[in-house]
Amino acid sequence: MLRTQPFNRYTWAVWRRQALVWRQLIWSSMATNVANPLLFLFAFGYGLGAVIDRIAGLSYLEFVVPGMMAYSAMFASSFETTISAYARFDLQRTWDAILATPVALSELLLGETVWAATKGMLSAISVLVVGWIWGGVPSTGGALLSLPVVALACLCFAACGLAATAHARSWEFFSYFFTFWVTPMFIFCGTFFEIDRFPSFVQWLAWLLPMSHTIAIVRPLMTGLPLDEGMAVIHIAYLLALTIAAFLLSVHRIGRRMFD
Amino acid sequence: MPIISATNLQKRYGALEAVRGVSFEIESGACVGLLGPNGAGKTTTMRMLMGLTRLSGGELKLFGRPVDGVARERRARIGLVPQDDNLDPDLSVSQNLHIYGRYFCVPEAELSKRVPQLLAFMQLEERGDSRVMQLSGGMKRRLTIARSLIANPDLIILDEPTTGLDPQARVLIWRRLLDLKREGKTLLLTTHYMDEAQRLCDRIIIIDGGEILAEGAPTDLIDRFVKGHVFEVQKPIPDGLLVGPAEYEDIGDSILFYTATPSQFAGGLPAGATYIHRAANLEDVFLRLTGRSLREG
Repeated sequence: MLRTQPFNRYTWAVWRRQALVWRQLIWSSMATNVANPLLFLFAFGYGLGAVIDRIAGLSYLEFVVPGMMAYSAMFASSFETTISAYARFDLQRTWDAILATPVALSELLLGETVWAATKGMLSAISVLVVGWIWGGVPSTGGALLSLPVVALACLCFAACGLAATAHARSWEFFSYFFTFWVTPMFIFCGTFFEIDRFPSFVQWLAWLLPMSHTIAIVRPLMTGLPLDEGMAVIHIAYLLALTIAAFLLSVHRIGRRMFD
Repeated sequence: MPIISATNLQKRYGALEAVRGVSFEIESGACVGLLGPNGAGKTTTMRMLMGLTRLSGGELKLFGRPVDGVARERRARIGLVPQDDNLDPDLSVSQNLHIYGRYFCVPEAELSKRVPQLLAFMQLEERGDSRVMQLSGGMKRRLTIARSLIANPDLIILDEPTTGLDPQARVLIWRRLLDLKREGKTLLLTTHYMDEAQRLCDRIIIIDGGEILAEGAPTDLIDRFVKGHVFEVQKPIPDGLLVGPAEYEDIGDSILFYTATPSQFAGGLPAGATYIHRAANLEDVFLRLTGRSLREG
């Protein structure tokens, strides 16, 4: 399925196309991917922070910054490979045009995925910087250490979004994606509350979602809470496996839709 | 050595057989027209050549090599002008060319030279900074053709390059295609305009129902299938005409007679018969071979 090396100059050409378009539409991109999570951060930091005294031994701001960082990464990466990518696939036929060049499908989709992850990282870093300035990041070193994990998570969210796009037959399909995939990750995976506050079946479902695994590593790193190394390996392995599975499924499925 | 050598190409979509056993060869430097009604299998055939649609059967050689495993090299040497506009609406006119060139890994310095050249070639030099949305249909077509040339391809495949354009835009595109032919490029095009095919193509392949019906130079096809001359005789048809040696076809209000000896045929028409005599053209061939009933789709 993947006959060439993973990230080559063809993938890079696709990535650069996305970056160019992004640069041209930078203000609206910034509004969605940077301002939006910051609004959430302020709302929850101030609003809930005033009500909630301590949570897991942290101030609520310290608790919510890693959650918001993961949420903004998830939202930006997911949006890019679903709504935006589906426009290029179905409406604009950009993928058709690109596949008439030497760029192979797997390279095109990897370019899309890595670009989406790049946008997710930009979003995450914005939240991190603001949270840090605001005094919501107790461990600066841990925060920096968490960035590679967030990058992997971004790839995972992007690949999962792409797998959804591979199955989408119309725009309506994405309302399911956002209702049953993005929103549960926002609510149940530890962004605002600890997962163990939910009934056990919700917890069980939450651990199927990549967001829980992301926050489970990122929050201890950024706040200085203890991190079980064995569990960290499992979280990372889960994210990695899901990324690869979702990406391969996307290549297979989109290949069948486009070439058969 | 032929640039394209297709043997028994087949494409099935479920129960639908879009292409059933098409074989042809295209030699280097030729301009070949693929003609057929809507749904005849033209676009599918072109997509198979580009590797954008998998073959259900048959064998395809491009540039003398079987296509399996040379997808990248094949696409690097072919420029495609698809039927539906798929220019990048997020980019400007010159960015469309520049970014497309990167997909072929054309070096940046080379692209900076080539983009203005191509814009000038397709008379778009004033529009380099325009958004694609702001272009007229003719300009979009010209830009799509310019885009197909960005990596200096040997073979250019054009799917209905002039459909929906005004006569001025069509003439400009014809001139440019003839320029490309003169440069030694190989062209394969589809069109619904028979005058266009007759003017541009050295060879015509007429396809319908996924099969090739006829193939040859435009003048050969006209001589072979419609004898060079057409007499359109209004009904009622005088007695005796239908048993004569000329081939004919009933088209409703009148009957078309095809003949290679027009003066002899005209002499045989009774006084008072209402008719039009004209040189036969490719449209006559096309309608004769593919039928006159309307195609949907």
